Amino acid sequence: MAAAWLVVAALTAFWPDKPESDWTYTGSFAIACAVLAVALALATFAGGRFVAFQRLQRLSPWLFALALFFAAWEAVTAKRGLLPLPFFPPPQAILEVAIDDWGRLAEGIFASARLLASGYFIGAAVGFVTGVAIGWSRLAGYWIHPVLRFIGPLPATAWLPLAFFVFPSSFSASIFLIALATGFPVTVLTWSGVACVKSAYYDIARTLGATQRFLVLKVAIPAAMPHVFVGLFMGLGNSFAVLVVAEMLGVKAGLGWYLQWAQGWAAYANMYAALLVMALLCSGLITLLFRLRDRLLSWQKGLVRW
Amino acid sequence: MVAAVASDHAVRGSTLTLREVSHRFNFEGQPLPVLDRISLQVGRGEFVALLGPSGCGKSTLLRLVAGLDTPTAGSLLTEGREIEAPDPSRVVVFQDPTLYPWRTVWSNVALGLEARGLLRTHRGRIEDALRLVGLTGFANAYPHQLSGGMAQRAALARALVNDPKLLILDEPLGQLDSLTRIAMQAELVALWQRSSFTALLVTHDVEEALLLAGRVIVLSDRPARIKAEVINSQPYPRHRGDPHFVELRREVFEHLGLDEAW
Ligand SMILES: Nc1ncnc2c1ncn2[C@@H]1O[C@H](COP(=O)(O)OP(=O)(O)OP(=O)(O)O)[C@@H](O)[C@H]1O
Ligand SMILES: [Mg+2]
Repeated sequence: MAAAWLVVAALTAFWPDKPESDWTYTGSFAIACAVLAVALALATFAGGRFVAFQRLQRLSPWLFALALFFAAWEAVTAKRGLLPLPFFPPPQAILEVAIDDWGRLAEGIFASARLLASGYFIGAAVGFVTGVAIGWSRLAGYWIHPVLRFIGPLPATAWLPLAFFVFPSSFSASIFLIALATGFPVTVLTWSGVACVKSAYYDIARTLGATQRFLVLKVAIPAAMPHVFVGLFMGLGNSFAVLVVAEMLGVKAGLGWYLQWAQGWAAYANMYAALLVMALLCSGLITLLFRLRDRLLSWQKGLVRW
Repeated sequence: MVAAVASDHAVRGSTLTLREVSHRFNFEGQPLPVLDRISLQVGRGEFVALLGPSGCGKSTLLRLVAGLDTPTAGSLLTEGREIEAPDPSRVVVFQDPTLYPWRTVWSNVALGLEARGLLRTHRGRIEDALRLVGLTGFANAYPHQLSGGMAQRAALARALVNDPKLLILDEPLGQLDSLTRIAMQAELVALWQRSSFTALLVTHDVEEALLLAGRVIVLSDRPARIKAEVINSQPYPRHRGDPHFVELRREVFEHLGLDEAW
Protein backbone atom coordinates (compact mmCIF):
# COMPACT_ATOMS: atom_id res chain seq x y z
CA MET A 1 0.00 0.00 0.00
CA ALA A 2 2.70 2.43 1.09
CA ALA A 3 4.90 1.02 -1.65
CA ALA A 4 2.24 1.64 -4.26
CA TRP A 5 2.06 5.29 -3.32
CA LEU A 6 5.85 5.50 -3.33
CA VAL A 7 5.76 4.19 -6.89
CA VAL A 8 3.27 6.90 -7.83
CA ALA A 9 5.58 9.50 -6.29
CA ALA A 10 8.67 8.15 -8.08
CA LEU A 11 6.81 7.91 -11.37
CA THR A 12 5.68 11.50 -11.07
CA ALA A 13 9.09 12.81 -10.06
CA PHE A 14 11.47 10.89 -12.31
CA TRP A 15 9.55 10.23 -15.51
CA PRO A 16 9.93 13.55 -17.23
CA ASP A 17 6.76 15.35 -18.27
CA LYS A 18 5.92 15.39 -21.93
CA PRO A 19 7.99 18.10 -23.67
CA GLU A 20 6.36 21.52 -24.14
CA SER A 21 4.26 21.13 -20.99
CA ASP A 22 4.74 23.44 -18.05
CA TRP A 23 3.22 21.78 -15.01
CA THR A 24 4.68 23.74 -12.17
CA TYR A 25 3.37 21.45 -9.46
CA THR A 26 4.74 18.11 -10.65
CA GLY A 27 7.26 18.16 -7.83
CA SER A 28 4.64 19.06 -5.24
CA PHE A 29 2.37 16.27 -6.37
CA ALA A 30 5.24 13.80 -6.12
CA ILE A 31 6.05 15.05 -2.64
CA ALA A 32 2.40 14.77 -1.60
CA CYS A 33 2.30 11.15 -2.77
CA ALA A 34 5.58 10.41 -1.03
CA VAL A 35 4.32 11.94 2.21
CA LEU A 36 1.20 9.82 2.00
CA ALA A 37 3.37 6.75 1.38
CA VAL A 38 5.53 7.49 4.41
CA ALA A 39 2.47 8.12 6.55
CA LEU A 40 0.96 4.81 5.52
CA ALA A 41 4.24 3.01 6.15
CA LEU A 42 4.52 4.57 9.61
CA ALA A 43 0.95 3.62 10.35
CA THR A 44 1.68 0.04 9.36
CA PHE A 45 4.73 -0.22 11.62
CA ALA A 46 3.55 1.77 14.58
CA GLY A 47 -0.20 1.60 14.50
CA GLY A 48 -0.84 -2.12 15.07
CA ARG A 49 -2.30 -1.49 18.46
CA PHE A 50 -4.75 1.24 17.56
CA VAL A 51 -8.33 0.85 16.50
CA ALA A 52 -7.88 3.48 13.82
CA PHE A 53 -5.29 1.24 12.22
CA GLN A 54 -7.85 -1.56 11.79
CA ARG A 55 -10.10 0.81 9.94
CA LEU A 56 -7.18 1.80 7.78
CA GLN A 57 -6.56 -1.85 7.01
CA ARG A 58 -10.10 -2.28 5.82
CA LEU A 59 -9.49 0.64 3.49
CA SER A 60 -6.23 -0.68 2.12
CA PRO A 61 -7.65 -2.28 -1.05
CA TRP A 62 -9.18 1.07 -1.84
CA LEU A 63 -5.99 2.99 -1.13
CA PHE A 64 -4.17 0.59 -3.42
CA ALA A 65 -6.71 1.03 -6.20
CA LEU A 66 -6.49 4.81 -5.84
CA ALA A 67 -2.71 4.64 -6.19
CA LEU A 68 -3.15 2.66 -9.41
CA PHE A 69 -5.68 5.19 -10.61
CA PHE A 70 -3.39 8.14 -9.95
CA ALA A 71 -0.46 6.39 -11.59
CA ALA A 72 -2.50 5.70 -14.70
CA TRP A 73 -3.91 9.22 -14.75
CA GLU A 74 -0.45 10.71 -14.36
CA ALA A 75 0.87 8.49 -17.15
CA VAL A 76 -1.76 9.22 -19.77
CA THR A 77 -1.86 12.97 -19.11
CA ALA A 78 1.34 14.65 -17.99
CA LYS A 79 3.75 11.95 -19.09
CA ARG A 80 2.49 10.68 -22.44
CA GLY A 81 -0.12 13.27 -23.32
CA LEU A 82 -2.53 10.65 -24.63
CA LEU A 83 -5.63 12.55 -23.59
CA PRO A 84 -6.41 15.88 -25.24
CA LEU A 85 -5.68 19.06 -23.33
CA PRO A 86 -7.12 21.19 -21.90
CA PHE A 87 -10.05 18.87 -21.23
CA PHE A 88 -8.06 16.32 -19.26
CA PRO A 89 -5.47 17.98 -17.01
CA PRO A 90 -3.06 15.88 -14.91
CA PRO A 91 -3.48 15.53 -11.14
CA GLN A 92 -0.83 18.13 -10.42
CA ALA A 93 -2.91 20.72 -12.25
CA ILE A 94 -5.76 20.11 -9.84
CA LEU A 95 -3.36 20.35 -6.95
CA GLU A 96 -2.22 23.61 -8.46
CA VAL A 97 -5.77 24.93 -8.42
CA ALA A 98 -6.27 23.80 -4.86
CA ILE A 99 -3.16 25.62 -3.75
CA ASP A 100 -3.30 28.74 -5.91
CA ASP A 101 -7.01 29.33 -6.11
CA TRP A 102 -8.16 28.10 -2.71
CA GLY A 103 -9.37 31.53 -1.72
CA ARG A 104 -11.94 31.63 -4.45
CA LEU A 105 -12.91 27.99 -3.92
CA ALA A 106 -13.41 28.56 -0.21
CA GLU A 107 -15.52 31.62 -0.99
CA GLY A 108 -17.59 29.42 -3.32
CA ILE A 109 -18.01 26.74 -0.70
CA PHE A 110 -19.11 29.31 1.84
CA ALA A 111 -21.60 30.95 -0.51
CA SER A 112 -23.07 27.61 -1.60
CA ALA A 113 -23.32 26.33 1.95
CA ARG A 114 -25.09 29.47 3.10
CA LEU A 115 -27.60 29.32 0.30
CA LEU A 116 -28.19 25.60 0.62
CA ALA A 117 -28.55 25.69 4.38
CA SER A 118 -31.05 28.56 4.37
CA GLY A 119 -33.13 27.06 1.57
CA TYR A 120 -33.03 23.54 2.90
CA PHE A 121 -33.95 24.41 6.47
CA ILE A 122 -36.79 26.67 5.45
CA GLY A 123 -38.08 24.09 2.97
CA ALA A 124 -37.77 21.18 5.40
CA ALA A 125 -39.45 23.09 8.22
CA VAL A 126 -42.33 24.37 6.12
CA GLY A 127 -42.72 20.97 4.46
CA PHE A 128 -42.79 19.19 7.79
CA VAL A 129 -45.39 21.48 9.31
CA THR A 130 -47.55 21.37 6.18
CA GLY A 131 -47.27 17.58 6.03
CA VAL A 132 -48.36 17.20 9.64
CA ALA A 133 -51.24 19.62 9.07
CA ILE A 134 -52.54 17.76 6.02
CA GLY A 135 -52.09 14.39 7.70
CA TRP A 136 -53.84 15.48 10.85
CA SER A 137 -56.53 17.98 9.97
CA ARG A 138 -59.20 17.29 7.44
CA LEU A 139 -59.68 20.98 6.81
CA ALA A 140 -56.00 21.54 6.06
CA GLY A 141 -56.08 18.48 3.82
CA TYR A 142 -59.07 19.83 1.91
CA TRP A 143 -57.38 23.14 1.12
CA ILE A 144 -53.75 22.24 0.79
CA HIS A 145 -53.91 18.87 -0.92
CA PRO A 146 -55.13 20.12 -4.33
CA VAL A 147 -52.54 22.88 -4.37
CA LEU A 148 -49.88 20.36 -3.54
CA ARG A 149 -51.04 18.01 -6.26
CA PHE A 150 -51.09 20.74 -8.83
CA ILE A 151 -47.87 22.55 -8.04
CA GLY A 152 -45.77 19.95 -6.27
CA PRO A 153 -44.73 17.82 -9.25
CA LEU A 154 -43.53 20.88 -11.16
CA PRO A 155 -39.71 20.91 -11.05
CA ALA A 156 -38.58 23.77 -8.87
CA THR A 157 -36.28 25.02 -11.63
CA ALA A 158 -39.32 25.82 -13.75
CA TRP A 159 -39.98 28.71 -11.37
CA LEU A 160 -36.56 30.10 -12.02
CA PRO A 161 -37.39 32.85 -14.51
CA LEU A 162 -40.37 33.96 -12.47
CA ALA A 163 -38.52 33.80 -9.16
CA PHE A 164 -35.66 35.94 -10.39
CA PHE A 165 -37.85 38.90 -11.15
CA VAL A 166 -40.43 38.51 -8.39
CA PHE A 167 -37.87 38.34 -5.59
CA PRO A 168 -35.85 41.41 -4.67
CA SER A 169 -32.52 39.61 -4.98
CA SER A 170 -31.28 36.56 -6.78
CA PHE A 171 -30.16 35.23 -3.41
CA SER A 172 -33.67 35.26 -1.94
CA ALA A 173 -35.05 33.87 -5.20
CA SER A 174 -32.62 30.97 -4.95
CA ILE A 175 -33.57 30.33 -1.35
CA PHE A 176 -37.18 30.16 -2.45
CA LEU A 177 -36.35 27.67 -5.20
CA ILE A 178 -34.28 25.44 -2.96
CA ALA A 179 -36.96 25.55 -0.27
CA LEU A 180 -39.55 24.59 -2.85
CA ALA A 181 -37.47 21.68 -4.10
CA THR A 182 -36.93 20.45 -0.55
CA GLY A 183 -40.40 21.18 0.71
CA PHE A 184 -42.40 19.08 -1.70
CA PRO A 185 -40.96 15.63 -0.91
CA VAL A 186 -40.80 16.47 2.80
CA THR A 187 -44.46 17.50 2.79
CA VAL A 188 -45.69 14.46 0.92
CA LEU A 189 -43.73 11.97 2.98
CA THR A 190 -44.54 13.60 6.31
CA TRP A 191 -48.18 13.58 5.33
CA SER A 192 -48.13 9.93 4.33
CA GLY A 193 -46.21 9.13 7.50
CA VAL A 194 -48.85 10.79 9.66
CA ALA A 195 -51.67 9.25 7.65
CA CYS A 196 -50.46 5.69 8.08
CA VAL A 197 -49.95 5.77 11.83
CA LYS A 198 -51.78 2.73 13.20
CA SER A 199 -55.08 3.69 14.75
CA ALA A 200 -54.26 1.38 17.65
CA TYR A 201 -51.51 3.85 18.66
CA TYR A 202 -54.12 6.57 19.01
CA ASP A 203 -56.55 4.26 20.83
CA ILE A 204 -53.96 3.47 23.45
CA ALA A 205 -53.04 7.09 24.05
CA ARG A 206 -56.69 8.12 24.15
CA THR A 207 -57.64 5.55 26.77
CA LEU A 208 -54.71 6.79 28.84
CA GLY A 209 -56.05 10.32 28.82
CA ALA A 210 -54.06 11.94 26.01
CA THR A 211 -55.04 15.35 24.68
CA GLN A 212 -55.10 16.21 20.96
CA ARG A 213 -51.82 17.99 21.41
CA PHE A 214 -50.26 14.90 22.93
CA LEU A 215 -51.60 12.75 20.09
CA VAL A 216 -49.97 14.98 17.50
CA LEU A 217 -46.67 15.66 19.23
CA LYS A 218 -46.05 12.40 21.02
CA VAL A 219 -47.80 9.83 18.84
CA ALA A 220 -48.30 10.98 15.25
CA ILE A 221 -44.98 12.75 14.75
CA PRO A 222 -42.65 10.15 16.26
CA ALA A 223 -44.51 7.39 14.43
CA ALA A 224 -44.12 9.31 11.15
CA MET A 225 -40.40 10.02 11.59
CA PRO A 226 -39.09 7.18 9.39
CA HIS A 227 -41.18 8.55 6.51
CA VAL A 228 -40.11 12.10 7.26
CA PHE A 229 -36.48 11.09 6.89
CA VAL A 230 -37.11 9.56 3.50
CA GLY A 231 -38.56 12.94 2.52
CA LEU A 232 -35.57 14.76 3.97
CA PHE A 233 -33.20 12.62 1.93
CA MET A 234 -35.12 13.19 -1.27
CA GLY A 235 -35.33 16.90 -0.50
CA LEU A 236 -31.59 17.11 0.05
CA GLY A 237 -30.93 15.48 -3.34
CA ASN A 238 -33.32 17.91 -5.04
CA SER A 239 -31.83 20.86 -3.27
CA PHE A 240 -28.36 20.07 -4.62
CA ALA A 241 -29.67 20.08 -8.17
CA VAL A 242 -31.52 23.35 -7.73
CA LEU A 243 -28.57 24.93 -5.92
CA VAL A 244 -26.22 24.35 -8.85
CA VAL A 245 -28.69 25.57 -11.43
CA ALA A 246 -29.60 28.64 -9.40
CA GLU A 247 -25.97 29.52 -8.91
CA MET A 248 -25.17 29.10 -12.57
CA LEU A 249 -28.06 31.17 -13.78
CA GLY A 250 -28.71 33.71 -11.08
CA VAL A 251 -26.53 34.13 -8.04
CA LYS A 252 -23.07 35.03 -9.22
CA ALA A 253 -21.37 33.14 -6.41
CA GLY A 254 -20.90 29.65 -5.10
CA LEU A 255 -19.53 26.44 -6.46
CA GLY A 256 -22.04 26.20 -9.29
CA TRP A 257 -21.05 29.62 -10.50
CA TYR A 258 -17.37 28.71 -10.11
CA LEU A 259 -17.96 25.68 -12.34
CA GLN A 260 -19.58 27.84 -14.96
CA TRP A 261 -16.88 30.41 -14.72
CA ALA A 262 -14.10 27.80 -15.03
CA GLN A 263 -15.74 26.36 -18.06
CA GLY A 264 -16.04 29.80 -19.62
CA TRP A 265 -12.30 30.32 -19.28
CA ALA A 266 -11.55 26.78 -20.40
CA ALA A 267 -9.94 26.28 -16.98
CA TYR A 268 -10.77 22.62 -16.82
CA ALA A 269 -8.50 21.89 -13.90
CA ASN A 270 -10.50 24.43 -11.86
CA MET A 271 -13.68 22.73 -12.97
CA TYR A 272 -12.49 19.34 -11.82
CA ALA A 273 -11.37 20.80 -8.54
CA ALA A 274 -14.80 22.38 -8.01
CA LEU A 275 -16.54 19.15 -8.95
CA LEU A 276 -14.40 17.25 -6.47
CA VAL A 277 -15.18 19.73 -3.71
CA MET A 278 -18.86 19.59 -4.56
CA ALA A 279 -18.91 15.80 -4.48
CA LEU A 280 -17.25 15.83 -1.08
CA LEU A 281 -19.69 18.44 0.18
CA CYS A 282 -22.84 16.65 -1.02
CA SER A 283 -21.66 13.28 0.15
CA GLY A 284 -20.69 14.81 3.48
CA LEU A 285 -24.14 16.34 3.93
CA ILE A 286 -25.88 13.09 3.09
CA THR A 287 -23.65 11.31 5.58
CA LEU A 288 -24.52 13.91 8.17
CA LEU A 289 -28.23 13.37 7.58
CA PHE A 290 -27.74 9.61 7.88
CA ARG A 291 -25.95 10.12 11.19
CA LEU A 292 -28.81 12.25 12.44
CA ARG A 293 -31.33 9.63 11.40
CA ASP A 294 -29.38 6.79 13.00
CA ARG A 295 -29.37 8.81 16.17
CA LEU A 296 -33.03 9.75 16.19
CA LEU A 297 -34.35 6.45 14.87
CA SER A 298 -32.06 4.13 16.76
CA TRP A 299 -35.21 2.28 17.84
CA GLN A 300 -35.75 0.99 14.32
CA LYS A 301 -34.12 -2.25 13.41
CA GLY A 302 -32.53 -3.02 10.08
CA LEU A 303 -31.54 0.55 9.16
CA VAL A 304 -29.62 0.91 5.91
CA ARG A 305 -26.01 1.83 6.55
CA TRP A 306 -24.58 4.62 4.43
CA MET B 1 -70.21 -11.39 47.18
CA VAL B 2 -66.59 -11.69 46.19
CA ALA B 3 -66.24 -7.97 45.83
CA ALA B 4 -66.75 -7.62 49.56
CA VAL B 5 -63.74 -9.84 50.20
CA ALA B 6 -61.57 -7.63 48.03
CA SER B 7 -60.74 -5.03 50.64
CA ASP B 8 -62.26 -2.46 52.87
CA HIS B 9 -61.58 0.43 50.48
CA ALA B 10 -63.61 -1.22 47.76
CA VAL B 11 -65.15 2.18 47.02
CA ARG B 12 -62.31 2.82 44.59
CA GLY B 13 -63.63 0.57 41.84
CA SER B 14 -66.37 1.95 39.62
CA THR B 15 -69.65 0.40 38.62
CA LEU B 16 -70.52 -0.52 35.07
CA THR B 17 -73.96 -0.89 33.54
CA LEU B 18 -74.74 -2.13 30.04
CA ARG B 19 -78.33 -1.63 28.89
CA GLU B 20 -79.43 -3.55 25.83
CA VAL B 21 -76.19 -2.80 24.02
CA SER B 22 -76.21 -3.77 20.34
CA HIS B 23 -73.54 -3.05 17.79
CA ARG B 24 -73.25 -3.46 14.04
CA PHE B 25 -70.34 -3.06 11.67
CA ASN B 26 -70.49 -2.42 7.97
CA PHE B 27 -68.68 -5.21 6.26
CA GLU B 28 -68.46 -5.13 2.45
CA GLY B 29 -71.59 -3.02 2.28
CA GLN B 30 -73.60 -5.41 4.45
CA PRO B 31 -74.50 -4.72 8.04
CA LEU B 32 -72.69 -7.17 10.28
CA PRO B 33 -74.40 -7.50 13.66
CA VAL B 34 -71.80 -8.21 16.30
CA LEU B 35 -73.48 -7.55 19.64
CA ASP B 36 -77.08 -8.39 20.34
CA ARG B 37 -78.82 -6.67 23.25
CA ILE B 38 -76.23 -7.26 25.93
CA SER B 39 -77.28 -6.22 29.39
CA LEU B 40 -74.91 -6.49 32.27
CA GLN B 41 -74.49 -5.01 35.71
CA VAL B 42 -71.02 -5.00 37.22
CA GLY B 43 -70.67 -3.96 40.84
CA ARG B 44 -67.95 -1.90 42.47
CA GLY B 45 -64.73 -3.90 42.68
CA GLU B 46 -66.20 -6.97 41.03
CA PHE B 47 -64.12 -9.22 38.77
CA VAL B 48 -66.12 -10.35 35.74
CA ALA B 49 -64.87 -12.57 32.93
CA LEU B 50 -66.30 -12.69 29.43
CA LEU B 51 -65.96 -16.01 27.68
CA GLY B 52 -66.93 -16.69 24.12
CA PRO B 53 -65.85 -18.15 20.78
CA SER B 54 -63.37 -16.32 18.59
CA GLY B 55 -64.86 -13.49 16.57
CA CYS B 56 -68.07 -13.28 18.58
CA GLY B 57 -67.58 -9.63 19.53
CA LYS B 58 -65.73 -9.58 22.83
CA SER B 59 -63.12 -7.05 21.78
CA THR B 60 -65.85 -4.93 20.24
CA LEU B 61 -67.69 -4.89 23.55
CA LEU B 62 -64.54 -3.85 25.38
CA ARG B 63 -63.96 -0.99 22.94
CA LEU B 64 -67.45 0.26 23.71
CA VAL B 65 -66.80 0.08 27.44
CA ALA B 66 -63.53 1.95 26.95
CA GLY B 67 -65.41 4.68 25.10
CA LEU B 68 -63.43 4.25 21.88
CA ASP B 69 -66.60 3.48 19.88
CA THR B 70 -70.24 4.22 20.46
CA PRO B 71 -72.82 1.43 20.27
CA THR B 72 -75.41 1.28 17.50
CA ALA B 73 -78.12 0.89 20.13
CA GLY B 74 -78.39 0.76 23.90
CA SER B 75 -76.33 2.56 26.47
CA LEU B 76 -73.30 2.05 28.64
CA LEU B 77 -72.94 3.75 31.98
CA THR B 78 -70.26 3.99 34.58
CA GLU B 79 -71.08 5.39 37.97
CA GLY B 80 -74.49 6.15 36.50
CA ARG B 81 -73.06 8.41 33.81
CA GLU B 82 -73.07 7.65 30.11
CA ILE B 83 -69.74 6.58 28.61
CA GLU B 84 -69.06 9.00 25.77
CA ALA B 85 -65.31 9.18 25.40
CA PRO B 86 -62.23 7.40 26.68
CA ASP B 87 -61.20 8.28 30.20
CA PRO B 88 -58.01 7.38 32.04
CA SER B 89 -60.07 5.94 34.89
CA ARG B 90 -60.97 3.09 32.49
CA VAL B 91 -57.75 1.59 31.23
CA VAL B 92 -57.59 -1.08 28.54
CA VAL B 93 -55.00 -3.78 28.08
CA PHE B 94 -55.51 -4.58 24.41
CA GLN B 95 -55.27 -8.03 22.90
CA ASP B 96 -52.32 -6.85 20.84
CA PRO B 97 -49.74 -5.19 23.11
CA THR B 98 -49.02 -2.35 20.61
CA LEU B 99 -46.12 -0.74 22.40
CA TYR B 100 -44.74 2.38 20.76
CA PRO B 101 -41.63 1.15 18.94
CA TRP B 102 -39.86 4.49 19.34
CA ARG B 103 -40.11 4.43 23.12
CA THR B 104 -38.22 2.27 25.56
CA VAL B 105 -40.16 -0.07 27.83
CA TRP B 106 -39.83 2.48 30.59
CA SER B 107 -41.27 5.36 28.63
CA ASN B 108 -43.98 3.14 27.17
CA VAL B 109 -45.07 2.39 30.70
CA ALA B 110 -44.77 6.09 31.50
CA LEU B 111 -47.18 6.98 28.68
CA GLY B 112 -50.34 7.44 30.72
CA LEU B 113 -48.63 9.50 33.43
CA GLU B 114 -46.97 11.65 30.79
CA ALA B 115 -50.23 12.20 28.93
CA ARG B 116 -51.87 13.42 32.11
CA GLY B 117 -48.88 15.44 33.30
CA LEU B 118 -48.31 13.24 36.35
CA LEU B 119 -44.86 12.01 35.43
CA ARG B 120 -43.00 14.30 37.82
CA THR B 121 -45.04 13.38 40.85
CA HIS B 122 -45.70 9.68 40.20
CA ARG B 123 -42.44 8.57 38.58
CA GLY B 124 -41.90 5.86 41.21
CA ARG B 125 -44.97 3.97 40.07
CA ILE B 126 -43.25 3.02 36.83
CA GLU B 127 -40.54 1.07 38.66
CA ASP B 128 -43.21 -0.64 40.76
CA ALA B 129 -45.23 -1.66 37.74
CA LEU B 130 -42.16 -2.98 35.94
CA ARG B 131 -41.17 -4.98 38.98
CA LEU B 132 -44.66 -6.39 39.22
CA VAL B 133 -44.54 -7.78 35.68
CA GLY B 134 -40.91 -8.85 36.00
CA LEU B 135 -39.38 -6.45 33.51
CA THR B 136 -37.12 -4.42 35.78
CA GLY B 137 -34.00 -5.39 33.82
CA PHE B 138 -35.59 -4.35 30.54
CA ALA B 139 -36.57 -0.79 31.35
CA ASN B 140 -34.25 0.55 28.66
CA ALA B 141 -35.03 -2.05 26.01
CA TYR B 142 -36.90 -1.12 22.85
CA PRO B 143 -40.04 -3.13 21.99
CA HIS B 144 -38.34 -4.89 19.08
CA GLN B 145 -35.95 -6.37 21.61
CA LEU B 146 -38.74 -8.02 23.60
CA SER B 147 -40.42 -11.38 23.18
CA GLY B 148 -44.17 -11.51 22.57
CA GLY B 149 -44.88 -12.39 26.19
CA MET B 150 -42.61 -9.66 27.50
CA ALA B 151 -44.35 -7.13 25.29
CA GLN B 152 -47.67 -8.24 26.73
CA ARG B 153 -46.37 -7.85 30.25
CA ALA B 154 -45.09 -4.38 29.37
CA ALA B 155 -48.55 -3.50 28.09
CA LEU B 156 -50.01 -4.71 31.36
CA ALA B 157 -47.58 -2.51 33.28
CA ARG B 158 -48.49 0.44 31.08
CA ALA B 159 -52.12 0.02 32.17
CA LEU B 160 -51.41 -0.60 35.84
CA VAL B 161 -49.38 2.57 36.49
CA ASN B 162 -52.54 4.57 35.90
CA ASP B 163 -54.26 3.14 38.94
CA PRO B 164 -57.53 2.56 37.07
CA LYS B 165 -60.98 2.35 38.60
CA LEU B 166 -62.01 -0.07 35.89
CA LEU B 167 -59.40 -2.33 34.34
CA ILE B 168 -60.39 -3.76 30.97
CA LEU B 169 -58.34 -6.79 29.99
CA ASP B 170 -58.52 -8.29 26.50
CA GLU B 171 -56.74 -11.63 26.71
CA PRO B 172 -53.82 -9.99 28.46
CA LEU B 173 -52.04 -13.24 29.13
CA GLY B 174 -52.68 -14.84 25.76
CA GLN B 175 -49.08 -14.99 24.61
CA LEU B 176 -47.48 -16.10 27.84
CA ASP B 177 -46.12 -19.58 28.48
CA SER B 178 -48.15 -21.63 30.96
CA LEU B 179 -45.77 -21.06 33.86
CA THR B 180 -45.54 -17.29 33.50
CA ARG B 181 -49.24 -17.29 32.89
CA ILE B 182 -50.00 -18.96 36.19
CA ALA B 183 -47.67 -16.56 37.98
CA MET B 184 -49.28 -13.55 36.28
CA GLN B 185 -52.78 -14.82 37.10
CA ALA B 186 -51.82 -14.93 40.76
CA GLU B 187 -50.32 -11.44 40.44
CA LEU B 188 -53.50 -10.12 38.86
CA VAL B 189 -55.65 -11.49 41.64
CA ALA B 190 -53.31 -10.10 44.29
CA LEU B 191 -53.27 -6.74 42.56
CA TRP B 192 -57.02 -6.65 42.23
CA GLN B 193 -57.45 -7.55 45.90
CA ARG B 194 -54.99 -4.88 46.90
CA SER B 195 -56.16 -2.04 44.64
CA SER B 196 -59.79 -3.09 44.52
CA PHE B 197 -60.52 -1.84 41.01
CA THR B 198 -63.36 -3.30 38.99
CA ALA B 199 -62.06 -5.76 36.42
CA LEU B 200 -63.53 -6.90 33.13
CA LEU B 201 -61.55 -9.72 31.58
CA VAL B 202 -61.92 -11.32 28.18
CA THR B 203 -60.35 -14.71 27.78
CA HIS B 204 -60.57 -17.90 25.74
CA ASP B 205 -59.33 -19.93 28.66
CA VAL B 206 -62.13 -21.37 30.79
CA GLU B 207 -59.82 -22.16 33.68
CA GLU B 208 -58.39 -18.65 33.66
CA ALA B 209 -61.86 -17.18 33.78
CA LEU B 210 -62.84 -19.38 36.74
CA LEU B 211 -59.56 -18.83 38.58
CA LEU B 212 -59.76 -15.07 38.43
CA ALA B 213 -63.36 -13.97 38.20
CA GLY B 214 -66.22 -13.97 40.59
CA ARG B 215 -68.64 -14.18 37.70
CA VAL B 216 -68.14 -15.72 34.27
CA ILE B 217 -70.38 -14.49 31.44
CA VAL B 218 -70.66 -16.97 28.59
CA LEU B 219 -71.35 -15.37 25.21
CA SER B 220 -72.88 -16.99 22.16
CA ASP B 221 -71.50 -17.05 18.64
CA ARG B 222 -71.72 -13.80 16.61
CA PRO B 223 -73.84 -11.82 17.13
CA ALA B 224 -72.92 -12.19 20.78
CA ARG B 225 -75.74 -12.64 23.28
CA ILE B 226 -75.36 -13.52 26.91
CA LYS B 227 -75.88 -17.25 27.05
CA ALA B 228 -75.21 -18.01 30.65
CA GLU B 229 -73.70 -16.68 33.82
CA VAL B 230 -71.63 -18.83 36.17
CA ILE B 231 -70.81 -17.55 39.62
CA ASN B 232 -67.69 -18.64 41.42
CA SER B 233 -67.68 -17.48 45.02
CA GLN B 234 -64.76 -19.63 46.15
CA PRO B 235 -62.11 -17.71 48.09
CA TYR B 236 -58.73 -17.00 46.54
CA PRO B 237 -56.30 -18.56 45.84
CA ARG B 238 -58.33 -21.11 43.95
CA HIS B 239 -57.08 -24.53 42.93
CA ARG B 240 -57.69 -26.23 39.65
CA GLY B 241 -58.01 -29.66 41.26
CA ASP B 242 -60.66 -28.62 43.77
CA PRO B 243 -63.86 -30.68 43.21
CA HIS B 244 -66.10 -27.61 43.19
CA PHE B 245 -63.79 -25.94 40.65
CA VAL B 246 -63.92 -29.02 38.41
CA GLU B 247 -67.69 -29.00 38.63
CA LEU B 248 -67.85 -25.32 37.64
CA ARG B 249 -65.51 -25.92 34.74
CA ARG B 250 -67.72 -28.72 33.47
CA GLU B 251 -70.69 -26.40 33.73
CA VAL B 252 -68.99 -23.65 31.70
CA PHE B 253 -67.89 -26.09 29.02
CA GLU B 254 -71.46 -27.29 28.81
CA HIS B 255 -72.66 -23.73 28.21
CA LEU B 256 -70.06 -23.37 25.49
CA GLY B 257 -71.44 -26.51 23.90
CA LEU B 258 -68.29 -28.51 24.39
CA ASP B 259 -69.41 -31.06 26.95
CA GLU B 260 -68.64 -34.11 24.87
CA ALA B 261 -65.26 -32.86 23.80
CA TRP B 262 -63.45 -33.67 27.01
N1 LIG C 1 -63.76 -2.28 12.38
C1 LIG C 1 -64.47 -3.34 11.99
N2 LIG C 1 -65.14 -3.32 10.82
C2 LIG C 1 -65.85 -4.37 10.41
N3 LIG C 1 -65.97 -5.50 11.11
C3 LIG C 1 -65.33 -5.59 12.30
C4 LIG C 1 -64.54 -4.51 12.79
N4 LIG C 1 -64.02 -4.89 13.96
C5 LIG C 1 -64.46 -6.14 14.19
N5 LIG C 1 -65.26 -6.57 13.21
C6 LIG C 1 -65.94 -7.85 13.14
O1 LIG C 1 -66.62 -8.02 14.35
C7 LIG C 1 -66.56 -9.35 14.76
C8 LIG C 1 -66.14 -9.42 16.21
O2 LIG C 1 -64.83 -8.95 16.33
P1 LIG C 1 -64.09 -8.94 17.74
O3 LIG C 1 -62.72 -8.44 17.50
O4 LIG C 1 -64.94 -8.21 18.70
O5 LIG C 1 -64.06 -10.49 18.11
P2 LIG C 1 -63.49 -11.18 19.43
O6 LIG C 1 -64.65 -11.79 20.11
O7 LIG C 1 -62.67 -10.26 20.19
O8 LIG C 1 -62.61 -12.34 18.81
P3 LIG C 1 -61.23 -12.93 19.34
O9 LIG C 1 -61.54 -13.77 20.51
O10 LIG C 1 -60.74 -13.76 18.21
O11 LIG C 1 -60.35 -11.79 19.65
C9 LIG C 1 -65.63 -10.07 13.82
O12 LIG C 1 -66.42 -10.90 12.99
C10 LIG C 1 -65.01 -9.00 13.02
O13 LIG C 1 -64.87 -9.40 11.68
MG1 LIG D 1 -60.66 -10.03 20.52
